[in-house]
Amino acid sequence: MKHRSLALLPPLIAIAAALLLWEIAVRAMNVPAYLLPPPSRVAVALWDDRAALAMSTMRTASATLAGFLIAAVLGIVIGSLLSTSRRLERGLYPLTLLFQMVPLVAIAPLLVIWLGNGIRTVIASSAVVAIFPVIANTLSGLRSADPHLDELFTLHHATRWQRWFKLGLPSAVPSMLTGCRIAAGLATIGAVVGEFVAGFGGASAPLGIVIMTSLREFRTEKVFAAVALASLVGFALFGIVNGAAHVAARRYAA
Amino acid sequence: MSRILRIAFTIMACWVLAGCRDASPSEPAPSTIRLQLNWVPEPEFGGIYAADAAGFFRDEGLQVEIIKGGPGVAAPQLAASGRVEFAVVGGEQILTLGEAGGELVGIYAIYQDDPMAVMVHATSPFASLEELWKSDATVACEANLSWVTMLNEKFGGASLKIVPHGGSIALFAADSNLAQQCFVFAEPVALEMQGVATKVFLVKESGFNPYNGVIATSAAYAKANPETCAKVRRALQRGWERYLKDPAPTNAVMAAMNPAMTKEAMDIAAKRQQPLIESPDTERLGLGAMTAERWSNTAQQLQRLGKITTLPAPEEIFLWGTSAPR
Repeated sequence: MKHRSLALLPPLIAIAAALLLWEIAVRAMNVPAYLLPPPSRVAVALWDDRAALAMSTMRTASATLAGFLIAAVLGIVIGSLLSTSRRLERGLYPLTLLFQMVPLVAIAPLLVIWLGNGIRTVIASSAVVAIFPVIANTLSGLRSADPHLDELFTLHHATRWQRWFKLGLPSAVPSMLTGCRIAAGLATIGAVVGEFVAGFGGASAPLGIVIMTSLREFRTEKVFAAVALASLVGFALFGIVNGAAHVAARRYAA
Repeated sequence: MSRILRIAFTIMACWVLAGCRDASPSEPAPSTIRLQLNWVPEPEFGGIYAADAAGFFRDEGLQVEIIKGGPGVAAPQLAASGRVEFAVVGGEQILTLGEAGGELVGIYAIYQDDPMAVMVHATSPFASLEELWKSDATVACEANLSWVTMLNEKFGGASLKIVPHGGSIALFAADSNLAQQCFVFAEPVALEMQGVATKVFLVKESGFNPYNGVIATSAAYAKANPETCAKVRRALQRGWERYLKDPAPTNAVMAAMNPAMTKEAMDIAAKRQQPLIESPDTERLGLGAMTAERWSNTAQQLQRLGKITTLPAPEEIFLWGTSAPR
């Protein structure tokens, strides 16, 4: 336990130093708060609106989680399907690449037309940007199974399912989790961009709407507060995936 | 990170931050005056482009560079921080940015009446803002707008669903039940040309009617360069006079710069915006006029809505009177 808390020290010191430098620089150079607020003002904004911001964070977090889960499950399924045949992979993999290349900001308004306003569009936006790393990493993980074992499975007339579950999966789990780690951050970005175009306003508006509203009201410190909370959602999801990775690593440890 | 890199990074950060400083009046006036628009070239800037094309800025001894805007351009902050000398902003923004510490001074108000409106499809059952606001319809508009709060106070609006407004009319065209914020002469005209008929309700009916299309500069610049402000205003007045008489030539120029709006649509829009530009005040005081009474009224409304806490003195937020009435 002592080891782990010591490991947290360097990043915490770095963050504190960066915040301090930011605070001093903004104050020393008299930068107006509507251009760049000092972190102390961001902290005050966080505290002043804590109740509303907590609600907003919950809304963004639930959409992010849903988008991430869809991306993780669909990504693993699609990656697994593609791994069953080289021809399928060659034919469809470029299509899945589209998810990576698509400029989300441009298609987000279309998602609204297709799915309507509200959480469905936000979740879809989140899933669309998060799915590709899961597909790609699942595929490469399944492909990396020991070729000797692969021959052994063929020798014993293993079914496709047995091959996937007993051979592919154990070797692919680490890369699947890597894909999920990348997807965790992307899912948050996707959700916030989705909220820009499809989030409902009102008392418990999600973080994307809080960012837009605060921008328009020149409350830059609240923009930073909402952005910090959105990052926190991403970090939390990343932490959960990491935790799952630890459990899986113990289970599938060779 | 090596020590040299660390030092280089610090210097770079300081340099970037130094650029964020407030405009100081002691800076020498640059030879070119930058005028930042808050949207793409459209009839709402007709008089500005007309003044430019006819050489009215040059007549005043000014060299003016018009900078096109678009979605997300931070025109008020650019002017308040001195990145540009002048910017087109909303009247309300002068007051709300002031609250955040950015001091702007309006020198010319294009729109005497706010062109902000809500449009519904022609087939919609709603015949007024009141009917719309008392329904459970979906309205695409920016969140937390002052006039939305105003309408909510007046008509309830508890069952209304407010969704983001991305500035696109595609969404509106696709959904016959949607209501959407618009400029009375812009989106409805574009939709008409696509065969989508609309009904439009002006937001000023709610009682909230700030100046709009205000040409503003930083308080520091206005204080240091009152002569330049008067010159810019004079050139704008001549430009708008010319544009109101005959918008077609300027529309051709703007249509070439803005492929999203045809010259035909601009001609229609120019005609529709005219009643918002000319008013009893402009008859009396000249085009672009502003009065302390109107500014105080808007400020008091914003204070009551909780958008600002302190009421600025009118002379701190607008300049008028140095130019002779027509």
